[in-house]
Amino acid sequence: MVREGDYVAIFNSIHRVMEAERLLKDKRLSILLIPAPRALAADCGLAIRYSEAARVEVEAALAQAGLLPRELYRRTGEDYVKIEGEV
Amino acid sequence: MKDLDVRGLSCPAPVVSVKKALEAGEGVLRVLLDDGAPRENVTRFAQGRGYTVQEEALEGGFALTLSAAADQKPKEAASQGGAVLLIGSDRLGDGPEELGRLLMRNFIMTLVEVAELPDRMLFINTGVLLTAAGSEVIDALEALGNRGVEVLSCGICLDFFKKKESLAAGGVTNMFTIAESLLGARSVVRL
Repeated sequence: MVREGDYVAIFNSIHRVMEAERLLKDKRLSILLIPAPRALAADCGLAIRYSEAARVEVEAALAQAGLLPRELYRRTGEDYVKIEGEV
Repeated sequence: MKDLDVRGLSCPAPVVSVKKALEAGEGVLRVLLDDGAPRENVTRFAQGRGYTVQEEALEGGFALTLSAAADQKPKEAASQGGAVLLIGSDRLGDGPEELGRLLMRNFIMTLVEVAELPDRMLFINTGVLLTAAGSEVIDALEALGNRGVEVLSCGICLDFFKKKESLAAGGVTNMFTIAESLLGARSVVRL
């Protein structure tokens, strides 16, 4: 589900993740709602996946709507590396 | 030893053909296939079922010899007692439609990470919307197909939703196969 270099955004509630999915799809951005990888604890078990190419637009849209994720990770090899700081 | 030539077939057809041949009772099977995804998927599938895999490079492809261990009993086909998942809707559970659709997508994507898989997944009624173009679980269904899960959609249902031409994962089936699969299955899980 998650390819090398993809970003995985974890939200803190099912309502926020669904709202984020709706917003990003309405903007025709290339994202996919996925089961949160087991290695990443997510309260609702869901996450939004996007690629490097879509990152700027996705995060700008989320920021504008007040829907920034609780945590953001990037797939690097077998690991998920946490992206620290302001998303 | 039987030879099975799956060169030129695209995924998941090589895995499906190998699965059928092994389930027909072939103890040793030599598979001629293309390099890349078919080679990787068939190797992973056979090893997952406890077969040893010997590889030999051929001109324009590879030959894999799959041998069952002495105590290995070939796994039964779905029509002969396997596990069947019947997906009768594009939603999981009762309640708000949006939540139900989200849960069904999440369930199918999660299956890819699960060790014990069904032998066959049958999609009927609005379930076929999951196997048609535009569905977000096509990649997950392809991954399941490559692990030996037979993905089959009801032809009448595809026709009803005008999706016959846009089936994007697995094959089409009819009510005979659906009825036989359900009645002959070791277990049926209906979603």
